[in-house]
Amino acid sequence: MPVNRPSSRGWTVVLVALLLAAATLFQGPRALQMARAVVYSEPGFADLPGAAAWSLMRMTVSYLASLAFAWLVGYQAATNPRAARVLLPLLDVGQSVPVLGFFPAAIFLFVTLLGGGRIGFELAAIFLIFTSQSWNLAFGVYEGLSTIPLETRAATESLGLRGPLLWRTLYLPACVPSLVYNSILSWANGWYFLIASEIIVSGPVHYDLPGLGSVMSQAFARGDLRLAIGAILVLTTLVLAIEFVVWRPLRAWSMRFRYDTQGSGEGEEAMLRLPDLGLPALMRAARTAVRALWAHAPARRGASRVASATARSLARGARALRWPLAAASVVLLAAISAMGVWAMVRALRPPWPPEAASVPLALLLSFLRINAAYVLALLWTIPVTLWAYEHPRGTRALTVVAQVGASLPATAFFPVLVALLVDRYGGMEMISIALALTGMQWYLLFNLLAGVQRVPNDLRESLRSLGLSRPAIWRRLVLPACMPSLVTGSVVAWGGTWNALILSEYVAYRDRVYEVVGVGALINRATFKTGNRALLFLSLAALVITVVAFNRLVWDRVYRHVNARYRMEG
Amino acid sequence: MLELRHVFKSFSDRGRVMPVLHDIQTTIEDGQLVCIVGPSGCGKSTLLRIMMGLAPPTSGEILYHGSPLAGVNLRAAMVFQSFALLPWLTVQSNVELGLKARGLTGALAQQRANFYLDKVGLDGYEEAYPSELSGGMKQRAGIARALAVEPDLLFMDEPFAGLDALTSANLREEVLTLWSDRALPVHTVVMVTHIIEEAVLMADRVLVMAQQPGRIAADLDVSLERPRNKRDPGFDALVDSIFEKIV
Repeated sequence: MPVNRPSSRGWTVVLVALLLAAATLFQGPRALQMARAVVYSEPGFADLPGAAAWSLMRMTVSYLASLAFAWLVGYQAATNPRAARVLLPLLDVGQSVPVLGFFPAAIFLFVTLLGGGRIGFELAAIFLIFTSQSWNLAFGVYEGLSTIPLETRAATESLGLRGPLLWRTLYLPACVPSLVYNSILSWANGWYFLIASEIIVSGPVHYDLPGLGSVMSQAFARGDLRLAIGAILVLTTLVLAIEFVVWRPLRAWSMRFRYDTQGSGEGEEAMLRLPDLGLPALMRAARTAVRALWAHAPARRGASRVASATARSLARGARALRWPLAAASVVLLAAISAMGVWAMVRALRPPWPPEAASVPLALLLSFLRINAAYVLALLWTIPVTLWAYEHPRGTRALTVVAQVGASLPATAFFPVLVALLVDRYGGMEMISIALALTGMQWYLLFNLLAGVQRVPNDLRESLRSLGLSRPAIWRRLVLPACMPSLVTGSVVAWGGTWNALILSEYVAYRDRVYEVVGVGALINRATFKTGNRALLFLSLAALVITVVAFNRLVWDRVYRHVNARYRMEG
Repeated sequence: MLELRHVFKSFSDRGRVMPVLHDIQTTIEDGQLVCIVGPSGCGKSTLLRIMMGLAPPTSGEILYHGSPLAGVNLRAAMVFQSFALLPWLTVQSNVELGLKARGLTGALAQQRANFYLDKVGLDGYEEAYPSELSGGMKQRAGIARALAVEPDLLFMDEPFAGLDALTSANLREEVLTLWSDRALPVHTVVMVTHIIEEAVLMADRVLVMAQQPGRIAADLDVSLERPRNKRDPGFDALVDSIFEKIV
């Protein structure tokens, strides 16, 4: 679901600069020293349920926080054009910046604020997951609110709907489809970063953060294959269980909240046909029961009166506090920005570390590695897509495979790949490309399959009746028709892979560090080994600027061109 | 009942000011069925929204029973071309929406909604969702929703434009029947249409609009006897004279 992205370049530049400046504030070698003090126990099989519970807790907390953030920001952006001019570019940058690079900064911030205890690390991990989930959700709310048809808005207004009733009957339901759709993406993203953060803290840093990711990477680091595989199995079960018990029924239910009920795409139908385990029926019964109880509750009238009075006084309070709050946050932001700029200037004062000269080369090599992974991913996904085009029955099964593949966090398989490939078949270079590939391929396959299902059948029949051969039809019809989906998938895949660099270029395995020359390795080394603030900042800045510039200069243009040229009407 | 005094409306688009309505001056009398006809883009829907209080005029005054209108007129209701039903609510809940906004809930609201659903012929479709209804039935639900708040004044914005010819002819007859039904509280209707025949078939009075900028070009009383028919003597002459005023 492509969102209309704003393209106010000025804001983007300012925001990237501020983000980087703020990051330098919290970077420092102290994070490393505190790490060594923590001693953790060796995990075993008995720890798996507990680890799963901890991981799930982190996911849930950060998802709820993201949801609250999304409503605040999305509502502002959709209803206040002046706020939208700042918020939308901010969301766009937040979405495309490789957040994993800022993780050491986040650890440092929370540990400084809260001391070196568990809570600091927990909040850092939750914050990292939050940064991977919230942008998407905010775009979901924004999209839901801004696509309410004008006449529907006028109708509710002419009926005199206001306040809580308006929220309940219009705003909340209108956001359900896009919010559920984006929640599924965000949730999958969250797993990816959850595992990543747990691997990072248990890998080079050695923090004690119980979770499936840390159990897995510690088990692999020790060479305990059975425990590692057990952890992966638990993770897979958990991810799939939530997918089938929560997201699929929710997605099917959310279809009721769309304005057009006819033109539902094939992909969505395929989704609806999947088992939902009878949950909607259960939910309906539960809802009726709750409603009946509520109707008979004696306190009902009083409760609703209290609720509406509370809502009213809250709204009044918010109105009164609006300007002081806005002023305070502007002052706070300005202060942080000023401190950040100052810290940046200080960190960048010569002499620069000798390694700084290697940043351009590292960036180039990382870029080439992503390209290699991209080509490899295309090499297998395009033939599979063409096969799916010729076998529509197989497409549905493949779509499920791609969805499941995309919902499993690729980071979970990093330790497996490392264990399999280390010191073999080209060693670390091969590993880092393979790790990048695992994050990339599913998004491409998923989007290509969605594209191939949208190729109109009468076009194919007309080409066949003209006597075109099968490869000619592929070349003239199927591949061009898939271009918009391919580009959408590529943008997401590239975004994910820039992130994966942080994990894939620097791996701690069996008490040895394996690394390649790349910008991800530079960031890791600067954080965990040398603690060099200037180098860390330079690599992070180079990475962020490259990613944002690449998105703006390459993907945005390709996206626009492809959508203008290859979009199927109707 | 409703009086418009020197109403102007303009939109600004990227710094350029586009005049939409130019010096609209008219009065809607109690008990009349008034049709506003005009070419597309002449501002007739904008005029209707200003009358309803959904949009403020750039300058000028709207008086409802002698006092200036500020914000949405809750003594009025509106029917939309796209039906504008909420797809996630049942027909019954859609009709009850305006009642809930006016603090009417529970059995009373249900009773009132059922009464009007019955009036528009949607008896038995209370629990259906809008997506399960045909276009004509959706618009019946839209009309029931507007009637249920028992307005003094009903606005209709091209209510039959989204329907096929047969359905729209049927629904037109039914709206006329509802309007003449003395048991219903609403006797004053302002309807926007771009079909001149429709206006002549239904209206007591036709406001003819011309465009660029939108203004009232003519204000005609239609004195043909009801029920009317396209073959009535004088029908074609009236249609032709309106057509000439638009062009």
